[in-house]
Amino acid sequence: MIGLTHYLVVSALIFSIGLIGVLRRRNLLMLFFATEVMLNAVNIAFAAISHFYNDLTGQMFAFFIIAIAASEVAVGLGILIVLYKRYGSLDLDELESMKG
Amino acid sequence: MDNILSVLVFFPAIAGLLGFVVDKKSARAYGITVAAIEFMLSLWLWFSFDSSNAGMQFVELIPMIPDFGVSYYLGVDGISLFIIIMATLMTLIGMMSMSVTENIKNMIITLLFLEMTMVGVFVALDAIIFYLFWELSLVPMLYIIGAWGGPLRVYASIKFFLYTFMGSLIMLVGMLFVAYVYHNLTGVWSFAITDWYALVLPVNYQLWLFAAFFFGFAIKVPMFPFHTWLPYAHGQAPTIGSVILAAVLLKMGTYGFVRFSLPMFPDASVMMIVPIAAISIIMIIYTAMVAYAQKDMKQVIAYSSVSHMGIIMLGIFAMNAEGISGSVFQMLSHGIVSGALFMLVGVIYDRRHTKMMDEFGGLASVMPKYAVIFGIMLMAAVGLPLTIGFVGEFLVLLGFYQVSPILTVLAGTSIIIGAVYMLTLYKKSFFGPVTNEVNKTLKDLDAKETWSLIPLVAIVIWLGVYPKPVLEPIDNSVKAMLTFMDEKAVTLEAKNMIKVAKSTKEVK
Amino acid sequence: METLVYIALFAPFVSSMFAALFGMSPRKTFVGIVASLLLLISFAASVMLMMHIYATGTGIHVRMMDWISAGDLSIPFGFLVDQVSVTMMVVVTLVSTVVHVYSIGYMDHDKSFNRFFSYLSAFVFSMMILVMSDNFAGLFIGWEGVGVCSWLLIGFWYHKADVTREENPSISPSWAANEAFIMNRIADLGMLVGLFIVYWNVGSLQYDAVFSALPHLSGTVLNAAALALFIGAMGKSAQFPLHTWLTDAMEGPTPVSALIHAATMVTAGVFLVIRANPLFSVTPEVSYFIAALGTFVAFFAASMALVNRDLKRIIAFSTLSQLGYMFAAAGLGAYWIALFHLAAHAFFKALLFLGAGNVMHAMNDELDIFKMGGLKKTMKWTYLYMGVASLALAGIPFFAGFFSKDAIIETAYNEGTLVLWAILVVTAGMTAFYSFRQVFLTFEGDERYKAFGIHPHEMYKFVLVAMSPLGILAVIAGFGKGSFEHFVTKLLPEYHMSEHTHHIAWLLGLIVLAFAVSGIVLAYKKYAKKLVRDEKVENSFIYKLLANQYYIPKLYEEFISKPYAMISEHMWKDVDMKIVDATVDGIAKFLYKSGDGARKMQSGNLSNYLNWMAVGAVLLLVVAAFSAMLG
Repeated sequence: MIGLTHYLVVSALIFSIGLIGVLRRRNLLMLFFATEVMLNAVNIAFAAISHFYNDLTGQMFAFFIIAIAASEVAVGLGILIVLYKRYGSLDLDELESMKG
Repeated sequence: MDNILSVLVFFPAIAGLLGFVVDKKSARAYGITVAAIEFMLSLWLWFSFDSSNAGMQFVELIPMIPDFGVSYYLGVDGISLFIIIMATLMTLIGMMSMSVTENIKNMIITLLFLEMTMVGVFVALDAIIFYLFWELSLVPMLYIIGAWGGPLRVYASIKFFLYTFMGSLIMLVGMLFVAYVYHNLTGVWSFAITDWYALVLPVNYQLWLFAAFFFGFAIKVPMFPFHTWLPYAHGQAPTIGSVILAAVLLKMGTYGFVRFSLPMFPDASVMMIVPIAAISIIMIIYTAMVAYAQKDMKQVIAYSSVSHMGIIMLGIFAMNAEGISGSVFQMLSHGIVSGALFMLVGVIYDRRHTKMMDEFGGLASVMPKYAVIFGIMLMAAVGLPLTIGFVGEFLVLLGFYQVSPILTVLAGTSIIIGAVYMLTLYKKSFFGPVTNEVNKTLKDLDAKETWSLIPLVAIVIWLGVYPKPVLEPIDNSVKAMLTFMDEKAVTLEAKNMIKVAKSTKEVK
Repeated sequence: METLVYIALFAPFVSSMFAALFGMSPRKTFVGIVASLLLLISFAASVMLMMHIYATGTGIHVRMMDWISAGDLSIPFGFLVDQVSVTMMVVVTLVSTVVHVYSIGYMDHDKSFNRFFSYLSAFVFSMMILVMSDNFAGLFIGWEGVGVCSWLLIGFWYHKADVTREENPSISPSWAANEAFIMNRIADLGMLVGLFIVYWNVGSLQYDAVFSALPHLSGTVLNAAALALFIGAMGKSAQFPLHTWLTDAMEGPTPVSALIHAATMVTAGVFLVIRANPLFSVTPEVSYFIAALGTFVAFFAASMALVNRDLKRIIAFSTLSQLGYMFAAAGLGAYWIALFHLAAHAFFKALLFLGAGNVMHAMNDELDIFKMGGLKKTMKWTYLYMGVASLALAGIPFFAGFFSKDAIIETAYNEGTLVLWAILVVTAGMTAFYSFRQVFLTFEGDERYKAFGIHPHEMYKFVLVAMSPLGILAVIAGFGKGSFEHFVTKLLPEYHMSEHTHHIAWLLGLIVLAFAVSGIVLAYKKYAKKLVRDEKVENSFIYKLLANQYYIPKLYEEFISKPYAMISEHMWKDVDMKIVDATVDGIAKFLYKSGDGARKMQSGNLSNYLNWMAVGAVLLLVVAAFSAMLG
């Protein structure tokens, strides 16, 4: 029987993959993908908990996250395109103008 | 006039705001006029003050944030009354004698704002209002030192600001905690000091709170070892800055001890007598020695201030009416005398642009009037009877003798080593032949300087010969406070230590 | 009568203020004249008060106003004119009047003439407060007041530069003034402590309240109070070890030395002991200490006078020595004898100083008696005055000093303190020797001053006339002993010699006289013809020791002044700057440095930020986990 724990473990694994992506990747586009992975890992956890506890709030949040992720992609990709046009690269190591 | 205290607090500030539209040439006259009116108002406060009443008078109470018990709450008693008058007087005299010429308008406006904050601190009866004015007073002084100061002015002003600010933040935490405890015990929020007085705190609470308030006040006083901002601030500040700083701002610290620490934490205060006395004696002796080693006239007086503040601290913790009244009187005395001494150093600095003693010598032959006034102030500083300096010092030592004869003897060495550094200063700069060619043509005091110093000389002698009009209201309030502390004290030691004067009148 | 009290007290004050009005203007003779007249008024008022008290036998007590009241303390400005204080008042105002008139002549050429009178009268005012006050705090006002006036007057010629100690043992007037002030302050601390002890045990500082409360106090308290007050007296009366300032104070103008450092101020300590006699009578140990110290100082100071070459310093040492006599008498309980010697001494010592002033005036301020000699030709009157004063000082029969000093020596015998008695007798011989050594070296013998091109001249006539009251009193004051005793013992405890002492009084007197006369004869033999200097003696250890005042000033400088300056310097540069302030700055620097280090985190690299964010999140998780486990 597949229980809540299994879902959560999967969710945690996917989240970790996303986190490692966020930490290790240098390309902004890849960072975006990694963030999406993390968001969806959370979505899995939300949906699973919602199912097992019979509480619809979790699913509602999952929908919220999907909506936010979508808008984030819309805005974020726009910024990425502008950045690429300006600097010709999306490598984070070359975008250090905010150095303190 | 029911709102005299509000008028007294906000009149200089409003006049300061209006000062922005005053023409630059007449800014000085404008400032002096405002300060004179303010001084008259404070005198009027004194005349309408009922000296036989030991409690708070002219009370104004307007709730501001009722949910948290913060209110606009002002009042004066004998302890604060004269410090207020001294603050307005020293502002007036400082402005009259001021020799600053650049950005004079800014200076006048800053001084008027400073006056508001100073008066505000001494009339506030609500901790939040008190704290507000307490912190606000830093800003004008920061500006005065930072904008008109000497070569190290930025360092000095930032040191002054951050150091005192850090202390007052700890004090703020203490205040919030008192309010919290008050809320826990009574169910209502209140920041009114008079409400807090009624609070009987357990001894361990008292000790922690005493420590929190101690940091705020001790850095301001400044007590050893928190005193090192003071020589820098004085050394770099323009004359007017030093005058106000020494005369009034330092008194905020000692006033805080009398207003907060003693009546709110009587047991902790009694337990802290010995440590505080030890620090005070270190202040007295150590800084007097450091003062003796100085080469710069102004630094001598700056360190001597610390030494004299030690006497004041000692008196506050004498826990009897003689000592505390003496302390409050000594605050006035030190304000007048050190203010005058800083002005006098300013006089010679304006002429020679140096304050180094070895540049001078024989000034008494060149500037006799200056030498006479300096001499009088010097004698007041070393506590000569029939000058203002004696009354306070005598009462403080007398009062503390009851606590500990040995410590009193140690503290009493201040009359010896105080004379040592002061007379050495005087001898080096005023006696001997005129060795420096430049000094031979120095001009004696001009009319402006003379007329700003003469009133101080008059006060020094008047209050030395007949201190009663000032001492009596102070004494009444102090006696009432002691009675009240004695009733409130939790521990037996504290009850034994706090001496209620036999001649205490009923509190109305 | 109250009016008279106020006139006596405030006439000098008015005089001082009047002279101060002209303080910065050039010399005006009328300032001196007005000041002298006002002092004369004060003197007249004092004499009238004395006659009144003599007639009625009761003192006058006036209360002018409140001074300090705080807590349970209440100090008024109150004045008490009784047998003791009126004696002091008459002595003080008489000597002051003479000195004021004298100063008109002596300060003739000084450009600060007016200022001088202002200070001098201010001194008299302070002295009057000191003697007239009815409480200890008022006494302390006068006590400090005379101290300041003494500071002002010693440093009167403040424009003189510092020189080395070898050149001038007092370094400079301003140095001497500061030394006097600071030394007195050391003693004043003792006095203040005395006041505190009295206040906290009695609850008042009024003489009458304190003295009536004495029987209720414990022995420790009484001893402590007496000792503390006496420490105060030691400073003002320059008793060992606080004596060095007195000889250095001779840097002041000579009238000042006569008035302040001989006749009046330095006797304030003796006055205090006499005034507080009820206290000292019940503390025999302290009193004995006073007597012993007084005797020691009498001898100690006289020994230094033996070899000194400075005219004024010799007289200063002799003052010190005579103060020792007074303390000996007071310590042995013979208060009225001490007061009597105080008054008699004031007359002849002031006269001696004023005479010395005449000599200085004649010798262009030369003070070395080895450079004088043979002045009797030009200065007959001064010679007469100084001779009379020295005879009185030496205790030659029928001069003032004979009656008063002999009585003290007799007292020492009567009390059975034979060691003190012997020392005092020997000292009497030394006194005679050094007084006449100085007189003969100055006025007799070869005219050594000629080598220095000095043309001496006698003082102005009016000055000589003004000195005459002192001269007459130096001769006749002793005859008033009986009536004086009768007068003051109404207030002071009576002191009678025992039957045995009374019987051999003539023998005791003879012994003293023998010592005194042999002192004079010795001085005459050695110095009257001409000055013969003996290299061997002058190079001997003892001579050098005495001439250098037992090296005490040097010791003070090496072991007190210099270390104090050095420690102060260290306190400032090493402790204050390098420890206290450096700690504060260190904390500030640490915060600044850590901020500066943390700045590197702000690399601008998003990836880096994200790593830090992850670290932060993990840390928070750990903290949350820990607190969950602990909680």
